[in-house]
Amino acid sequence: MSESNASPERPPLVRLSQVHLSFGSNHVLKGIDLRVRQGDAVSIIGPSGSGKSTILRCINGLLTPERGEVVVGGTPVHSLRTEAERIALRKRIGFVFQQYNLFPHLTVLQNIVLAPTRILGLERETAEREARELLAKVRLADKDDAYPGQLSGGQQQRVAIARALAMRPDLVLFDEVTSALDPETVGEVLSVIRQLVEDGMTCLLVTHEMRFAEEVSHEIVFTEGGEIVEHGTPRDIFHAPRNPRTHAFINALRN
Amino acid sequence: MASEDILTLKTSPSPRVLPRIPSIVLWIGAVALAWLVLAHFYRDTMSTLWAWAPLLAGGLRMNVLISVLAIAIGTVLGAIVGALELSRGRWIGAPAKAYVQVFRNAPILVLIFFATYVFPFEIRFGSTYLPFPDWIKATIGLALPASAHIAEIFRGAILSITSAQWEASASLGLSRSQTLRWVILPQCVKRVLPPWMNLYAMITMSTTLASLVGVTELLESAKNATNTVNRTDFTIIIYLAVLTLFFLYCYPITRFTARLERKYAFH
Amino acid sequence: MSESWLPAFVAAARSVGLNYGFLLNAFERAAWIDGVVVSIELSALGIVSSLIVGMVIAAALTSGRPYLDRPARAFVELVRNTPTLVQIFCAFFVVNMLISQALGGPQNNPLTAYAWVVIVLSLHYGAYHAEALRAGIEAVPRAMRESAVSLGFSRREILTHVELPLAVRFAWPSLVNNMVDLVKATSLGSAIAVGEVTYASLMIWVNGDNVLELMIFILLVYAALTLLVAGLGTLVENRLRMPGYGQ
Repeated sequence: MSESNASPERPPLVRLSQVHLSFGSNHVLKGIDLRVRQGDAVSIIGPSGSGKSTILRCINGLLTPERGEVVVGGTPVHSLRTEAERIALRKRIGFVFQQYNLFPHLTVLQNIVLAPTRILGLERETAEREARELLAKVRLADKDDAYPGQLSGGQQQRVAIARALAMRPDLVLFDEVTSALDPETVGEVLSVIRQLVEDGMTCLLVTHEMRFAEEVSHEIVFTEGGEIVEHGTPRDIFHAPRNPRTHAFINALRN
Repeated sequence: MASEDILTLKTSPSPRVLPRIPSIVLWIGAVALAWLVLAHFYRDTMSTLWAWAPLLAGGLRMNVLISVLAIAIGTVLGAIVGALELSRGRWIGAPAKAYVQVFRNAPILVLIFFATYVFPFEIRFGSTYLPFPDWIKATIGLALPASAHIAEIFRGAILSITSAQWEASASLGLSRSQTLRWVILPQCVKRVLPPWMNLYAMITMSTTLASLVGVTELLESAKNATNTVNRTDFTIIIYLAVLTLFFLYCYPITRFTARLERKYAFH
Repeated sequence: MSESWLPAFVAAARSVGLNYGFLLNAFERAAWIDGVVVSIELSALGIVSSLIVGMVIAAALTSGRPYLDRPARAFVELVRNTPTLVQIFCAFFVVNMLISQALGGPQNNPLTAYAWVVIVLSLHYGAYHAEALRAGIEAVPRAMRESAVSLGFSRREILTHVELPLAVRFAWPSLVNNMVDLVKATSLGSAIAVGEVTYASLMIWVNGDNVLELMIFILLVYAALTLLVAGLGTLVENRLRMPGYGQ
C-alpha cells in the first residue's frame, strides 16, 4: 500500500525547513528538512539521541527552534509568540507520549473528555458519546470507569491515543509509544495505530519498531546526530539504502 | 531559550541579576539591617532594651538549657522505647507503642502542666530533701513528647533499611557487628539526623511554654520587662527582639536540616 | 443531660482514688463542658481558615512573580522558625494593643483574645499548609504538564484541572498532620485566657486537689478531637484515592 496514495501533488501538512535547536552547548537539531503530506504516515528512525523526539516537540510548539521554519497546515509554528496561538495549534495536533501521561486522578472516560469539553467547548454528552466510540475503536469499551493505574501499559497507551483523537486532530504525533511497554502489549497498540493510518489519519511516528515502520509507513526518515541522513520509501530505506550510515544502522538491526 | 516556559514551574525568578547569595546570609542580613534601622530611629527605646538585655540573655540561656536537656533525655529515652517497640514480645511492644501514641498526640503544653502539677516540689532521698524546681519539671514535660517522637524516628530508620542490606553484607563476608557498624548504622544516622534536628528546633520553640508554669525563660522575662516599663514602644521592640532571637537560633538549624535532607535524598 | 449516672461515676472513680467531685458541682461542670465546646470551635474555625490561608500563600509561592513569592516565602520562614506562643503574644500584646490605641481604647476594639487565637493559628498553620501544597505542586511530574500542554490547556487550566487536583492528593497526608497539630495548639489559647478546655481545667484544679483527674480528661478530649480529625482525613484520602497509582 505504500505507494498507492503517495502522489507528490498533495501539499504538505507539515513542513520543516533548516530547523536548528541546541540545549546549551548540545546541538540537537542541525538543519532538519522534513515534509509530511496530508494522509501520510511518516516514521522517523535512527539511533537514540539523534533528535527524533525533539523534532516532534518542535512541531507542536513544545519547543521553539532557534533557526528555521516549522509550518503546520499554514501556521508558522516557529513564529508563534503567545500562549493563545500555541493553544490554537495544539488543538489540531494530537501527541502520544512514550510514558502515556494519562491523568491519574481521572477515570479513562474523564481523561478523554476533559480536553474536548474544556478546550473545544463540546457538550458533555457529545464528548462522552465520541469518547465511547473512540474507546470502542481502541478496543477498550469496557474500561471507561477504570483509573489509569488499574490498566496495563498497553491499555493505558491505547487510552492515550483515544485521548489525542478526541480533539479531532489533523495530525497525530507518536513519540516512541511502544518503548515503555511489555513486549506482549506492544502488538495491541501497533494495531490501533495501523487502523488509524488505514483510515487516512496523518501520522508522524518516532519508533524503534522497524518491521512495523516498514509495513505501515508511506515514508521513512532516517536521522543521526541531529541530521536527516536519508529519507524515502520503506523499500528504499530498508532494502536499498544509498547512504552508508543508513546502511550500517539497518544492518546492525538485522544482526 | 529553547524550552517553553509553561512547562517549568517558576518558583524562583529565572534571570539572575545578582550573583547567588546563600539565602541564609540574605535573611540574617535583612534582620540585622532592620534592627539597625530601628536602632537609628528609636534610640531611646533601644537604650531601654539594652538595659534589659542581661535579663533577656539570662532568659534565653534558660531556653537553651531546657532544650538541650530535654533533647538529651528524649534521645536516650526514645532510643529505648523505639527498641522496645520493635521487640517481638507483645507484652513489651504494645506498652511501648501506647507510650509513643499518648505522648506524641498530647499537646505539649498539657504535658508541661502535667509534669509541673503532678510531680512534687521536692524529692526525698533518705533523709535529705532535694528541691525539684519548675524548670526541671518543664524539661521533663518536653522530654516526654521528644522521646515519643524520637522513638518513631529510630523505628522508621531501622525499618527502612531492608534485609537485603544484611544479606548483601553477609555475602561479602561481613560479620554481624561489622555489618551493623559499617553498613546499617551509617545509613541510620543519615536517616535520623534531619528529623532529629527538626525535632530539636521544635523542642526549642516549645521551651517558651515553660513561661506558662512560671519558669523565667526568655518570653517570661520579656513579659516581666513590658509590665515593669509599661511603654508601647518598648513592648513592641521587646517582642520583636524575642521573635528575632528565636528566628536567629532556629532558622539556621532548619536550613541546615533541609540541606542535609536534600543531600541524603539521593542515597 | 441525664445526671443519674454522674454520681455513680464519681463514686466509682473515688473508689480507685480519683477525685471527680467537680462534676457534681453544676457551675464547674458547665464551665468545663463550655471549655470542650470552645476547643471544638477553635479547632473547626482554625482548620477551615488555615486551609484558605494556605491556598492563598501556596498560590503566591508558586506564582513565579518575585513580588508575590518573596514576601510569601519570608512569611513562611518567619512563622516556621519562631514559637507559636511568641506569635500569639505578639499578636495579642502588641498588634491588638496597637489596634486598640488606634481605635481610641480597648472598648472600641472588636477583636477578642478568642479571635486572636483563631487568627494566629490560621496564619501559622496556613504557612505549613502552603509549604505542603507547594511541595505537592512541584511533585507533579513534568511529563503530566507536558501532556496537558499538548492537549491545548492554558497555564490556568493546567493548574485547575491537573496540578491542583494532584497536588492536593500528594499534600493531603501533610495537611491532615498540620490539622492535628492545629487541634493540639488550640491549648495555647489558655495562655491569653481563652476559655478552652485546658484553661477551663486550670480554673477548676486551682480550686481543688484534682490535677491528675482533669489531666486524664483533657488528654481524652484531645485524643478524641485529634482522632476525629485524623479519621475524617483518612475518609477524604480514600475519596481522593487514585486507584492503581503509586502503590
